Amino acid sequence: MAPSATNTEWDHQYHTLRRENLFRNPPKDHTAYPALQLAVDPHIESFNGLFRNDGKPGLVAHALADIGTKTYLDGDDRSGLEGRNRLSIRIKDVTLQKAQVPPSNKLARNRQIFPAECRERHVTYRGRLSATFEYQINGGDPVEFVRELGQVPIMVKSNRCHLENNSPALLVERKEESEELGGYFVVNGIEKIIRMLQMNRRNFPMAINRPSFQNRGPGYTPYGIILRAVRPDETSQTNVLHYLNDGNMTFRFSWRKNEYLIPVMMILKALVETNDREVFEGLIGPAGSKSTENTFLTDRVELLLRTYKSYNLYTKSETRAYLGEKFRVVLGVPDTMSNIEVGTEFLRRIVLVHLGNIDVTEEQDNEKFKTLLFMIRKLYALVAGECAVDNPDAVQNQEILLGGFLYGQILKERLDEFLSVNVRASLRDFFRRYPTVPITSEDFRKDFPNTIFRKANENLGNALEYFLSTGNLQSASGLDLQQTAGFTVVAEKLNFLRFISHFRMVHRGAFFAQLKTTAVRKLLPESWGFMCPVHTPDGSPCGLLNHLAHKCKIMTDSVDVSRLPALAAELGLVETSSASTEESVVVMLDGKILGWSTPKESLRIADCFRYWKVEGTHGVPLQLEIGYVPPSHGGSYPGIYMTSTPSRMVRPVKYLPLQKEDYVGPYEQPYMTIAVVPQEIESGRSTHVEFDPTNILSILANMTPFSDFNQSPRNMYQCQMGKQTMGTPGTATRHRTDNKSYRIQTGQTPVVRAPLHNTYGFDNFPNGMNAIVAVISYTGYDMDDAMILNKSAHERGFGHGTIYKTKKISLKDDSRTKASKSVTKAFGFAPHSYVSASYQGMLDDDGLPHVGRMVQEGDVICAWHTVTPDYNGKMVNLDGLTHYEKYKDSETGFVEEVRLIGAETGNEPLQTISVKFRVPRSPIIGDKFSSRHGQKGVASQKWPTSDLPFSESGMQPDIIINPHAFPSRMTIGMFVESLAGKAGALHGLAQDSTPFRFDEENPAADYFGHQLMKAGYNYHGNEPMYSGITGEELAADIYIGVVYYQRLRHMVNDKYQVRTTGPVVPTTGQPIKGRKRGGGIRVGEMERDALLAHGTAFLLQDRLLNCSDYAKSWICRRCGSFLSVQPTVSQFAPGKKKAPSIVRCRNCAIKLDDTEGIDLTEIQGEIWEDGQGNSWVGGDQTTMVVVPGALRYLDVELAAMGVKLKYRVDRGDEPRKGPMRPMALDGVRVGK
Amino acid sequence: MPREEYQVPTGASGAQRGATRDAHESRAQMSYLCGDCGGSVTLGKDALVACPHCAGRVLYKERTKRMVQFEAR
Repeated sequence: MAPSATNTEWDHQYHTLRRENLFRNPPKDHTAYPALQLAVDPHIESFNGLFRNDGKPGLVAHALADIGTKTYLDGDDRSGLEGRNRLSIRIKDVTLQKAQVPPSNKLARNRQIFPAECRERHVTYRGRLSATFEYQINGGDPVEFVRELGQVPIMVKSNRCHLENNSPALLVERKEESEELGGYFVVNGIEKIIRMLQMNRRNFPMAINRPSFQNRGPGYTPYGIILRAVRPDETSQTNVLHYLNDGNMTFRFSWRKNEYLIPVMMILKALVETNDREVFEGLIGPAGSKSTENTFLTDRVELLLRTYKSYNLYTKSETRAYLGEKFRVVLGVPDTMSNIEVGTEFLRRIVLVHLGNIDVTEEQDNEKFKTLLFMIRKLYALVAGECAVDNPDAVQNQEILLGGFLYGQILKERLDEFLSVNVRASLRDFFRRYPTVPITSEDFRKDFPNTIFRKANENLGNALEYFLSTGNLQSASGLDLQQTAGFTVVAEKLNFLRFISHFRMVHRGAFFAQLKTTAVRKLLPESWGFMCPVHTPDGSPCGLLNHLAHKCKIMTDSVDVSRLPALAAELGLVETSSASTEESVVVMLDGKILGWSTPKESLRIADCFRYWKVEGTHGVPLQLEIGYVPPSHGGSYPGIYMTSTPSRMVRPVKYLPLQKEDYVGPYEQPYMTIAVVPQEIESGRSTHVEFDPTNILSILANMTPFSDFNQSPRNMYQCQMGKQTMGTPGTATRHRTDNKSYRIQTGQTPVVRAPLHNTYGFDNFPNGMNAIVAVISYTGYDMDDAMILNKSAHERGFGHGTIYKTKKISLKDDSRTKASKSVTKAFGFAPHSYVSASYQGMLDDDGLPHVGRMVQEGDVICAWHTVTPDYNGKMVNLDGLTHYEKYKDSETGFVEEVRLIGAETGNEPLQTISVKFRVPRSPIIGDKFSSRHGQKGVASQKWPTSDLPFSESGMQPDIIINPHAFPSRMTIGMFVESLAGKAGALHGLAQDSTPFRFDEENPAADYFGHQLMKAGYNYHGNEPMYSGITGEELAADIYIGVVYYQRLRHMVNDKYQVRTTGPVVPTTGQPIKGRKRGGGIRVGEMERDALLAHGTAFLLQDRLLNCSDYAKSWICRRCGSFLSVQPTVSQFAPGKKKAPSIVRCRNCAIKLDDTEGIDLTEIQGEIWEDGQGNSWVGGDQTTMVVVPGALRYLDVELAAMGVKLKYRVDRGDEPRKGPMRPMALDGVRVGK
Repeated sequence: MPREEYQVPTGASGAQRGATRDAHESRAQMSYLCGDCGGSVTLGKDALVACPHCAGRVLYKERTKRMVQFEAR
């Protein structure tokens, strides 16, 4: 019997045998959970777009075309062009190889390097990047040569990865998860992903009202049009039109992080050969149209044309030459280009690049002209109030910058920089050294590619690795992005939910995180179906860090729209148009104007396209977005805006006329009528219906059972906590070396779950346990979100978990410089060295720990010694010292694995090991648990089973929670889950918990209540229970059922912080910060206030002084200074161990040696000596006081600034100035 | 803290007193497992880390043969 294809359909049932079989025999054809792969696909496909295998040019090929040819001249820069030879060089092709063993390794038969090996060896998964260069000398025959450009990190499961299209069986063989998703990079053994960013929608003129535009200069208004034009290689150039008070307009762009402003008329005149009449009619419409009566518009356009007269530029070539002259330096073009050519280059590189970027034709320039006119028109309409602004914070006007595309942009910039900066510098260096050698000479040929390229920094791979490991973008152009850091995150495999969420995460941009306004964080209705309304963290990233709805797809390639222009023309588009939207509206495709139609016609055109698109006929692709904006009064600027480009979000809905799947995008959605459920369909209005209302939720939000019963913030909390659960990161834990990895030992499949649980294969990654939960206030230990664990449940393994910690021990110095390559250290005991018995027992003969050994704090993990090569190259130890690495954690652990890591070249002795420790973590009091409804709690007691209440059937709860957890939080979903779980457990069923399945007519409580009744239980889920202590029946029936509980990773063992004494900050004497270092917890102002308010002065003193910087200090009572006191030095004191030293005030004492004419016999008081041997007398009014150490420190610091502090220890200590004056003391008159 | 705890002196049973590492130069050839092919790899001191069968670059230490006993709590 031939094995049938693996079934990929799942419902909500357990499918125990089927899963068991899948697990034992990973399928050899394809995965059983294709939905998982789909969730990650945007990342992988975007990376695949860089170097394509399907024959179409990849993004890198497009980028190379945009970089173009660089021309360098020899000879003296100051002389003219005559007599200088020119060298033109371009990159013809760039290829990226799969990860391979370097050729220097002769032994390896299998040359492939798999990602699993890179994880284990803590290295980067990367492949060789090589480029084919082509150069011409003085326009002669082109010569090609190939250079290696270093090793570039490769995305796992991309088309440059060995794991692409691997079957689960093969993946397991290659030490991966059977459901390995890919989509991330392995950098230094850590999995990194480039996170998706929300960007402005490309190629669409967005009307913006931004007050900060006014800061650009005098006359600037808040109005503008932003168009983010994207080149074929996915790099973008933003063009902005600004409206000035007087009706004029300027064109703004930014180039290499500098901003430039140009009158828009100049761009128009440079693009095509035109005249004022053509511009006027292009903006307003042909003579006789309605808009010619619009004086608001005509006045302004007239002014626009008139003010430009001052430039005296009339023809296209004049204007281009003018622009070329101004931008020659900015663009960095070679001297050989004429001004007109530079002007053309300027238009090619900067102005509306989406309409023509390489070898721009007249036709394309004309399209740019028309689009620019449209932008001007829209801006005037915006100013006149005829059209509304477009909200850049709404998903409607956004797209997603995918990781692979960003990676390509960086690669492009590096290639460009290499050619135009590094090679140029290297060449200049050459010409400076040999000024007489011309390019044409044989001497130059000898040096040219090899020596000169070697001097230029060829290693582009390093730059990309740096980007991935830090997330920092180092770029000269800024890549048209608003941030320079935070592009990558670690794909933490804490549990599988967290891991998968990383790939569905979309960030608004780091720039918006600092914004004080919260408008960007708002949940807008436009997001429906694209961004999950539930799955966003609370706190600072709230609303900025969103997650895609689980059915939302991101296009990674443009769809074929070659037949659209002809089709649109057939439907009756015209060339001429009027500025009045009542007369003509635009039909645009990817920012290109196809033509104009009447508003009435436009609806028909949009409907036709929609029908054909779903039908799949007329060459209209299914994923085309047809944004039909209907005419309105002051609404969005009407027209049909079609989009076929990548990076768009799309989602499936059902098209009613054909009852077929249609993909809608965020731009068109607000203007469509999509019914949520079939009952909602309105005849004649609704065009679409959702396949399922749960399509709006993210993968994680879909895992919350009965989430429609919960108060919405609780669902948000669950999305947070689901990601912090101690779950099952995967099954390939043996081959992973995460720094810290959590795992639960006794994971179960939830009884209550949605079918999506199976669709996404979450049973392979259990995340919690089904617990019998009683809602009862029983012992008092369940107050305030505490929960009582059944001790026997705990002993049976409930919630038992493990932490795996990996420690990498490398004997190589970690400096990035490759200078010190020689081996100087080796593992093992040094010969002839003394080794204590305890250490010898802890380690094996090779100096590495025994696998399986228990380690405690202070135990040694490994031994090493220094070595030097002797005369015949053998490594010998000279100092006879053995060094040890110690286990520093306070918890006992077990050595799980010891890895010996060899070099890629296979010719190095042992230099690196990695040791994996296993720390068992059985639940203890203080560990955190939660249900799936945002109901978290801390274990407060492990209560003996014998003392817990029991039901009539003898059931005892695993967990007791307090009823007070419910009224204010309104997590009814948890009640329903409890009910459903109980019924499911009794009948042996899995329960479908998909939200929006029940309503008022068919309540959930009724459905599950009847199931319970059938099993002989109370309809409501309550049961009479008996006290475990007295055996009496409890007065109330107790709500008891089965709830899936998660153990969260926050455990007291990682958190507790205790200190009486310990390390202090040396300057102040106060306790240091930080749990790790044994520091204290700050008693801050508010805590101080509380203690004050309670009148607990002793406690306050204890916290703030005695346990902090208690310091005894000498002070002079007379002058009130800490700083002038000093210990005396006795001439006769024997050594340093003398009796308590005497302290004197130097300030108040009189130096005997200086003062002439002092009769020594007259002196009263003791004479003392300082360290220098000077004799002093007086200054003996010193005393010791207790002060905070910080006070003394403050005194010293202030003294350095010339500020003196005086302390009056006692009122009587005040130095008296002048004659004595009587004082009023306690109201008693003294003196006269 | 555990560092400062009183350690019960283990009797002479271990026969391991602190000792100078003798010149048993031929440090026992240790045996490891290749992470790639699973074969056994014997490495001496200063040997290159590579599996002789498949040139595997990751080697695992075998589980110790010594008795491993813990107090179960």
